[in-house]
Order: sequence, then C-alpha cells, then structure tokens
Amino acid sequence: MKRLWGPAAFVAAIILVALAAPLLHLADPTRQDIAHRLSGSAPGALLGRDEFGRDVLSRLIWGARTSLGVAFASALIAGAIGTALGLIGGWFRGLGELLALRSADIILCFPPILLALLVVTLLGPGASTLILVLSILYAPGFARVAYAETLTARNHDYVEAVRALGAPTGRILLRTLLPNIAGPVLVQLSLAVASAIVLESGLSFLGLGVVPPAPSWGLMIRGARATMEQAPLLLLWPCAALVMTILAMNLLCDALRDALDPRSTTSQPLLRLVDRLLPGIVAPARDATALFEIRGLTLAVKTAGGIVRPVEDVSLSLRQSETLAIVGESGSGKSLTALAAMGLLPPAVSPISGSVWLDGFDLLQLDEPDLRKLRGGTIAMIFQDPMSSLNPVHRSGDQVVEAIRAHQDLSQDAARKEALALFRRVGIADPEQRLAAYPHEMSGGMKQRVMIAMAIANRPALLIADEPTTALDVTVQAQILELLAALKRDTGMAMIFITHSLSVVAEIADRVTVMYAGQVVEDGVVAEVFREPLHPYTRALLAASPEGDDPLVGIPGVVPQPNAFPVGCRFAARCAFAAPACSAAPVPLTQPRPGRSTRCIRWQELPQRREAAA
Amino acid sequence: MTRWLLRRIAVSVALAWIVATLVFLALHMVPGDPAVLLLSAGDVSPDPAAVAELHQKLGLDRPLLDQYVSFLVRLAHGDLGNSLVDDYPVTREIALRLPRTLELILAAAVLAIVVGIPAGTLAAVYRGTVDRIASVTTAFVLAVPVFVFGTLLILLLAQTLHWMPAGGYAPIDRNPVQHFTLLALPATAIALGLAAVIFRMTRASVLDALSRDFVRTARAKGLSPARVLVHHVLRNALVPVLTVIGLHLGTLLGGTVLIEYVFNWPGLSTPLLRAVEARDYPMVVGIVLTVSSLFLLINLMMDILYAVLDPRVRAS
Repeated sequence: MKRLWGPAAFVAAIILVALAAPLLHLADPTRQDIAHRLSGSAPGALLGRDEFGRDVLSRLIWGARTSLGVAFASALIAGAIGTALGLIGGWFRGLGELLALRSADIILCFPPILLALLVVTLLGPGASTLILVLSILYAPGFARVAYAETLTARNHDYVEAVRALGAPTGRILLRTLLPNIAGPVLVQLSLAVASAIVLESGLSFLGLGVVPPAPSWGLMIRGARATMEQAPLLLLWPCAALVMTILAMNLLCDALRDALDPRSTTSQPLLRLVDRLLPGIVAPARDATALFEIRGLTLAVKTAGGIVRPVEDVSLSLRQSETLAIVGESGSGKSLTALAAMGLLPPAVSPISGSVWLDGFDLLQLDEPDLRKLRGGTIAMIFQDPMSSLNPVHRSGDQVVEAIRAHQDLSQDAARKEALALFRRVGIADPEQRLAAYPHEMSGGMKQRVMIAMAIANRPALLIADEPTTALDVTVQAQILELLAALKRDTGMAMIFITHSLSVVAEIADRVTVMYAGQVVEDGVVAEVFREPLHPYTRALLAASPEGDDPLVGIPGVVPQPNAFPVGCRFAARCAFAAPACSAAPVPLTQPRPGRSTRCIRWQELPQRREAAA
Repeated sequence: MTRWLLRRIAVSVALAWIVATLVFLALHMVPGDPAVLLLSAGDVSPDPAAVAELHQKLGLDRPLLDQYVSFLVRLAHGDLGNSLVDDYPVTREIALRLPRTLELILAAAVLAIVVGIPAGTLAAVYRGTVDRIASVTTAFVLAVPVFVFGTLLILLLAQTLHWMPAGGYAPIDRNPVQHFTLLALPATAIALGLAAVIFRMTRASVLDALSRDFVRTARAKGLSPARVLVHHVLRNALVPVLTVIGLHLGTLLGGTVLIEYVFNWPGLSTPLLRAVEARDYPMVVGIVLTVSSLFLLINLMMDILYAVLDPRVRAS
C-alpha cells in the first residue's frame, strides 16, 4: 500500500492544479507578446515566453488541463461503454460475449496512432475527435477485463445467493457484480488514462490533435522544436511535465495492480550473507556404517517478521540398500529437508547449521561444481508432480539423454540407446515412440516413469523420492510403487521415500522417520514403530489411516506455520495426551531404547495403541 | 499442425477482411455526404462541381453494396486507388516508402531485442542491485513518449554536442555510411521503449521459469548452470516474450509515424501526414490498410514461431 500514496498524491496534485487553473491568476495562455518572444524567466512569466511571446508557465498549466481533460474524458467514456459491454457479455453471454471478446481483437489490428489518423482525416483535428478516437481504442480493453471478471464473479456464492433471492438482473449487475469487478476495471482505467496522455500528446505534436492556439503539451513540444537552438528550455519544460505525469500514472497503475491482485506477492528477500557463512554447530560423531546422513540440519528463511526455521535440528541416517520413509503432514519440512540434501533449496531458504554427509563429503560445504557431479549421479531425486517436473518444450527422450550425458561421456547415439533401455526398464510401452513424445502427449503415470528413468539413468547410490505417487491415480500409484520396489531390489540403491501415507510406508520402507512442524518426532524400524508408536503424533497418524489409502483425517487442527511454532512441544495443541509440562520448554529427542527415538516427554505414559483404538 | 496452421491463417485473413470492411465503412458512418466532408475546410462549403467530381471519382453515387464489392475486388488485385491530391497511384507511393519504414522498424526491433532480452535475463537471474537499477530505469524509460525521446536526442546529440546529424536520409547505394549514421538515432529512439517492454517481460518470464519444477528437475540431473539457463529456463521463458514483441509491434509501427516525422525519415509517415492534412482519403486508407496487414502478418509469423517453439500449442 505504501507504494500507492506517492504516485497517487502526485497525480492528485496535477489534477488539482489543472482544475484550479482559472483560479491561479495566470496570464492568458493564448495572449501573444511578439516583442518578448523567447524571453527567459522574468516577473510575470516565471518560465519565460515561447516563440509567440506567450507565458510558458500558464501554457503548461492550461496544457495540463487539455491533456488530462482529453485523457480522463476518453478513459471514462471508454470505461463506461466497455464495462457495460463486458458485464452484459459476461452475464447474458451470447452476442454480447462475442462483441466483448472480438472487438478487442479487431481494434488491436490497428496500430493506435493510425486509427486515430484515419478518424482525423474524416472528422478533422480537435479535442472532440481525440476523445472519440481514444474512446474507441480503449473500450474493448475494458470490455475484455469486465467480461472476464464477470464470468468469474457470476459463479461465486454471493452472486448465486442474490440471484436466488429473486433480485432483478439490473440490480444484480449494478449493485452486486459491478462493485466486485471494480478493482480490475480501475486498473484498466489508470492504464487507459496513461496511454491516452501519450497518444494525445503524440497527435498534438504532429499537429493533428488539439488545434492551436489552445495549449497542449504536445503542441508546446512541436512549437519549441523549431527554436530549440535558441531556447532549449522551452522544449524541456513540456517534456518534463509530460514525462513526470506519465511516470506517475504508470507507477499508480503498478501500485493499484499490486494492491488489488493478491497473486502478485513481493519476492522474499534473500538471506543475508552472514547467515549463510555462519558456521554450523560441530556435528557429533558420524555413524560409520551410514551411506547417507543428515546431522542437526536447520534451515532458515528470512521474512518480514524475522528469521523463521521451517526445518530445525533434523537428523536421519540411511545404510546401503536401505529404504527410509519420511512421514508427516504437509508443512512438516519433509520436502525442504530432501531439497537441502540435493542442494536445491529455493533461493529464500538456506541451511544455517548441520551437515549432510554422503560418501564422506558434507554436501552443504561442497561448492556448486562438485555438488553438480553428485546430483543426478550418486544422488538422484524424483518429484511429486510429474506434470510440471518435465520440461514441456523438450521431447521426453531428449530429457533422459541430457541426464545421461551430464554424467557419462557418451555420444548422442549411445546415450539414446541407453535411454531406450531405461524406458524399457521402467515399463514404458512403445519405448521407441515414447522417446520422441512430448510430456503433454503422455499420461501422468507415464511421465512419472520418465522421471524415474531419468533418476536411475546414472545408477545412483541414493534415490530420493518426494511423494512420487501423490499426484497420480490410485491404480497408477500401485504400479509406480511396485516399479520403485523392483528397481531397488535389482540395483541395491538406497532410497528415501517421502510420503504422508502410512500404508505406503508399510509397503516399501525398512525404517521410518516421522516429522512434525520441522522436527523429527519419532524414528525407528517400520514394524516396531507401527506396533508401538512412541509419539502421540505417530499414533494419531496411524489411527487416522487404519488401512488402505484413506486420506488423513481425525487429527484436529493443522500443522502450525513456521513463524508460529510454539516454544514447547509443537504438537501439544493437537495432542490428546498433552499436559501443562509439554508446552513449558522445548522437548529434546530422546532414545528410549536402541534404534528408537521420540520427541515426547510422556512416551512412557502413553497407552498401548491397540487399547486406544478399542 | 497443418490444421492448426490453416486455421490460424484463416483467422488472419478474416481479421484483414474485417479491417478492410471497417475502413470502408468508416467513410460512410460519418453523417452527411462523404464527398462534402472530405472537401470542406473550416466553415466554407465546398464547390458543388468539385463535390460531383469527387462522387464520380470515388464512385459514391453507386449503391453502397456495389461500392463495397468493387472496393474488395480492387483490394484483391492490389489496387488501392489514386491520391485525391495528385492522382498518383497509392500503391506506387507505398512501394517507394514502405521499405524505408520497414528498415527502421527492423533496426529498432533488433536493437530492442539485443538489449532487452539479455538485460531482463540478467536482472531475473542476479536479482539484487542489478535488478533494482534496471527496473527503475525501465520505469523512467516507459514514461517517455517516443517523440519526446527523439526530440531530446536531437537536442542533446545534434544541437548541443554536434555528434550526430539531426535527421534526414541518404540512399544506401549512394552513401552507405551516411545511410546508417542517419538510421542510428531514429532506430534508437524507437527501440528504447520496446527494449523496456521486452526487458520487463523477459524478467518476469525468466523469474517465473526459474521457479518451475522442471528447472528443479534439470538442476537435479546435475546440469551446468549455463545449460539449465539456456536449455531449460530461456527455452521456456522466451516463448511468451515473442508474443509480447508481436503485440507491441503495433505501438512500434505507430511510433515510427512520429519518429519519421521527428527525424525527417522519408518513410510512410510523410505521405500519411500530408494526406491526413489534405484529407486525401484513398492515400490514408491505403497506408492504414498496408500497415495493419503488415501488423497482422507479423503476428501470424510470431504465432507460427510460437508453435514451433512450444509443442503444446500445436496440440491444442
């Protein structure tokens, strides 16, 4: 909103000065004084006199009146006609719809200034011709905006409600719809005014707009051009006035659009370098048998409200050929943890402490070129949505070939053969044809198979699968899980499987790490965790998904946002077993028995799961 | 693809036909006798003999439908009629002037693309200070009307510093150096605004592409940043930029009218402005139709290019 006031105040000031022109005791802007032509600043003519000895200041202010008058008049007329057309077209559809949509296409075929010149040829120059032309030019824009907005708004509940109450159509259009589409129409209005000022000044500059001797900024520039050698300032004043006004109008447009459009959010600031360089807490001794290990990983995002930590002190480890499932609801930090391991965090997020070990290297300390050799090679990843994860403009085969050639020194042909073998390996029917297919020509399951082919192309030691089946149909989900299980069996790669479905965990994983609100809350072998969960959240997840693929239900409330994590146990607010002590202080991760850990201070008091379910 | 192409071409032809029809009707939509309208200057009523002669010349005394059909037939034969002022064939005047206007537009478009796309990409990739400086500059540039920028260029580079000639034209076969020297300023003046538009569009488009999942996939494959940027980000991001360039060529074509006037570049602008002042309707119509068709043609080519670059368009 802050950005709105500056330009708005400036535009308001110009409008006010233009409106107040008759009250300012200015010299007559058309009175000539040939004796003092081109004279400089003097009392009575602050900015000097032009080539006919007319007072420049007075002409500037009266010129503002002409320019803004023409611009606002035409924008308002165009706005009224166009909005009405769009409303009617969007509401009744039919012919109005055709007009609202197609008129813009047709008007767009004429470069604006040429259409204006055509009309000027017929009607002769003058302010009224200008207003007519500009109205014709801008009305379709309003029609299109109003039409699109009406179409969206007409299906909203409040409109349906008014309609069900039997309100007359005219009343619905004017009282219910119009206020709701006013925002975009207002933006369009400011656009039209800005553009009308440009066009009016251009036509006047050509001598085909406002008729002399009436003052207009375009005409002033036209006049001053001839005398620019003797009096360059004469040229600069109207140019400055014009540019400042258009700039203010443009900024006002942008600010209006930002204020009215919640989608255009301002980008998040990058973390300060200091945060990035801050050394992590020294990692504890590493597990020598682990292939991959995350130690005390904390991620931070700098927001307007301070630094938040969507992932805090997360540790997990993975042995050769093991499958680890990371389970949790959306917002628990599972995906960010995985992306951190790949070095693919979004720019706003950065690791501030901890380490990620693979093959004896801390991935967080590796520089980008070294990390790149691992990415897609030793460590590969498949993502949740295969629809958006493949590049729409490249053939699927080329995308796999690209992955192969990024890590193996193969010719295009050899890589292509390799890709074909991979397509067969992941069970794609008609692999030769599919190599040449674009992603949009394939089904979701097929695309995910391409993603998998790409991920296993360089025989990774570790495959991270981030909810690889969530976006797919249930039957396809099962096929993809089977494929992943088979690949794992055959290649012996380790896998991290991120999911929010416990039935998938039971099917595919050896061990499970449960995450909640950016922390690990429980960790252990799948069978043990399922038999005897040591954290109320795990219990709740198990209770919420008894068998099959039922969605998660039955846990009251939602995962807290990273900026609102409570001090104590983060699950306490939703926990059936919470005690006052839970919220008092941060809960540490404890190891109640070998190979198991939990972040609950009352784990010993939890009733057995079977009893609770009974 | 073929069906899509045929349909797209049909749309362009239909639009051209609608444009021609509107231009034809415009003369008749104004109340009163068109001949009187074209011949009147100020409050003086025109000479009845002249009105009758113009009726004869433009075929205004025939039925409207008859006039319309013969207008379309002549158009189809590439005949745009003769000037009312000197009876010179409109097409011949356009054939002489159009290449000069096209040259100006082409030079400006190339200049704008060469500046706008790299600048927009850099701003999106590096963000921070580069981005902020470029974005503020763009906001200022977009606020300067093309004729103001042209005039100020003359004031600074020609009048004050005497580095460049203030305007004019030299045929390329007689004096190529002079030709390109004279081309530089008007082309720059037109290019500036377009470069700003292309910069903004490229920046937004690259920022959008950078946040896409497929870019993450490309990075997850272990590709080099250069390959990710060119092959995945730009390959996707520049496709919508193309369309914007196509649409803004309308403004660009309008801008040339002003810039040719400012720099005395003898393109279509000179006969157009002369014709508007003299109310030489056939000449104005001829030039307007030529430029509009050119605009439609450019947009058609942009759409075809779009389809070549984005396989999804071809499918739908």
